[in-house]
Amino acid sequence: MTTAPTGAPEQGAPAASRSARIEALAFVGLLVVLSIAMLVVTSSIREPAGSTNGLGARVVPYAVCGLMLVSSLVVLVQQLRGRFGSADEGEDVDLEHGTAWLPTGIVVLSFLSLIITIPMLGWPLGVTILFAGAALALGAKRWWAAVLAGLAIGVVTQVVFGELLGLSLPITGALTSWIGL
Amino acid sequence: MDTLTLLLEGFATALQPIYLLYALLGVMLGTAVGVLPGIGPAMTVALLLPITYALEPTAAFIVFAGIYYGGMYGGSTTSILLNTPGESASIVTALEGNKMARAGRGAAALATAAIGSFVAGTIATVLLTLLAPTIARLAVGLGPADYFALMVIAFLTVGALLGDSLWRGMVSLSLGLFIGLIGVDTLTGQSRFTFGVPQLGDGIDVVIVAVGLFALGEALYVGSRLRNGEIPLIPITRGWRTWMRRSDWARSWRPWLRGTAIGFPIGTIPAGGADVATFLSYASERSLAKPEYKQQFGRGAIEGVAGPEAANNAAAAGVLVPLLTLGIPTSATAAIIISAFQSYGLQPGPRLFDTQPALVWALIASLYIGNILLLVLNLPLVGMWVKLLQIPRPYLYAGILAFAGLGAYAANFTVFDIGVILVLGVLGFFMRRQGFPIAPLVVGAILGPMAEEQLRKAMQIGQGDPAYLVHSPFAIVAYGLMILIVVLALWLKRRRARYEAQLPPVDTVAIAALDEEIESHQPHPQQDRGRLSTQITPIQRRSADPPEGPGTGSDG
Repeated sequence: MTTAPTGAPEQGAPAASRSARIEALAFVGLLVVLSIAMLVVTSSIREPAGSTNGLGARVVPYAVCGLMLVSSLVVLVQQLRGRFGSADEGEDVDLEHGTAWLPTGIVVLSFLSLIITIPMLGWPLGVTILFAGAALALGAKRWWAAVLAGLAIGVVTQVVFGELLGLSLPITGALTSWIGL
Repeated sequence: MDTLTLLLEGFATALQPIYLLYALLGVMLGTAVGVLPGIGPAMTVALLLPITYALEPTAAFIVFAGIYYGGMYGGSTTSILLNTPGESASIVTALEGNKMARAGRGAAALATAAIGSFVAGTIATVLLTLLAPTIARLAVGLGPADYFALMVIAFLTVGALLGDSLWRGMVSLSLGLFIGLIGVDTLTGQSRFTFGVPQLGDGIDVVIVAVGLFALGEALYVGSRLRNGEIPLIPITRGWRTWMRRSDWARSWRPWLRGTAIGFPIGTIPAGGADVATFLSYASERSLAKPEYKQQFGRGAIEGVAGPEAANNAAAAGVLVPLLTLGIPTSATAAIIISAFQSYGLQPGPRLFDTQPALVWALIASLYIGNILLLVLNLPLVGMWVKLLQIPRPYLYAGILAFAGLGAYAANFTVFDIGVILVLGVLGFFMRRQGFPIAPLVVGAILGPMAEEQLRKAMQIGQGDPAYLVHSPFAIVAYGLMILIVVLALWLKRRRARYEAQLPPVDTVAIAALDEEIESHQPHPQQDRGRLSTQITPIQRRSADPPEGPGTGSDG
């Protein structure tokens, strides 16, 4: 990383970059599309005949989707006029540098891998892969330390939640059932 | 005194060794996560919801209560000692506390925060004990229309007040309400928004919503913008007995009491929670301060730490009043605790005091015990927690992901939920990037289905006439108050934003000199007490070739 200009910290909202503006408009635009689509879906919810007084199954969905449409339209107009939201701050969050998309993508993939690894390899190994993948993507230095720490968390959660608290976490999966624990 | 006997019975339960252990576990976890940057109490309670599948209710709620209180204590340690640019200006406590720490008075700031939290927490818990049974007794008479009014208040205040802008909060709230609608409608048996997916028929589990948005969303967001390089920590060195000098006590006790008086009522009414309370306390301390201390505000005034910290904790206890007596959550953490009640088949509300007196009173008793444990944990042992700040961030966030996976899978033991949680996590990720508040979404998703049920009950009783909703005097007063609260709180928020925008950066040497000068005028000057070394110890992160051997880095 290059050295950041750490002179006088500039106060006030920094002008949103072009890509950030496009992203903001796209996100809110998607919400507008979603609310219109859901209004259409709502109209196809079946109302059983013969429900007398009282509200049917459609009324609240109409209200909720309507609120979503109105509020996202207002935010969209605000953004077109240049009023963008400011990203969340946090102790570990660095807003001065850009977004690290590649590591974020790897973290998402590591999490997604649980869908395959839990049935195939079991809980402890699945967590090991998730933990190691995420830690390395986020900048852990030693790969073996990440793997060992992941394995430790996998085994400890298996023992505490699976054995002591009685949640049915699979120790092994389809590919590792030969281990026979 | 009926309440007193019930409370004593609660103590008899909560003081059993096993429950004391659970309370200790809760406050330790709560403090740890409060200290850890990036993990709030909402996320922790969400991540620990799986224990409700295994523990009995009393034990689980004692743990949750400990986490809830502990998170409030731990947070102040982080904001006082962690010196990261940007964040510290956004919270008033951090504003003064961090300045004090930079001027070498971090120990005094930590002590006044911890003792103030204890004083406020204890007084507020006493108020909770006295008020809750009375409110519960009154609330038994409320009808569905009244409940619907209360829930609308909770929606609007949470949506409008927790975040930068009202409309962004409304977007978040409506998304949450929408998520709450997914599934089979209980009244008519019709599927709504399930798109033919059978797993969505039961709706999306609240655990999934909370873990996805708080844990996964936060981890993804922080991970995408992880701060590089050193974390400048302000060290604390001397023994804790000498932290507060005589003048610090003299200047702190009134702000503690005032902060409690401000925080508790604000926590009780759904008015945006602790944020509003801390700012009100800060503003009143600033205007009430003696002229010679007033110039210290913005440069490390101890009143500016003592008051808001007390207000913060008192508000946290205040939030429990509507939670326990009405079943109305006014913060994200409270909403998640409600979902924990629901997973036991319990419905928080006025009847809880009749149906589950043992549980409720053990919970309240554990709040008193938790406060004492927390004072001990936070004063002499604060050095231990500071070490937590040094956990390498890649491991910290990878660990959060592992527990998020556990929460997702343990909800229903299907990997389908892993996919759902990932979708919600990505949604939370983009919402954080775009400045949409998360809390309204969670409150909407949890409270939405309950509100719809009450609304439809009310309409059935009122035979389809919408006027029935404003039929009772209670509902009319409630809607009137709601408008008042929202307007007042929005005005307060604007004031706070304006105040924070005009803060000039201050030199730490000047702060220390000012402090020295004020102290020298005291009747018993103790310049040396409560001083610390001001040198900043950098912590190496991501530096090339760490020189130390193995052994660091393997942590949970």
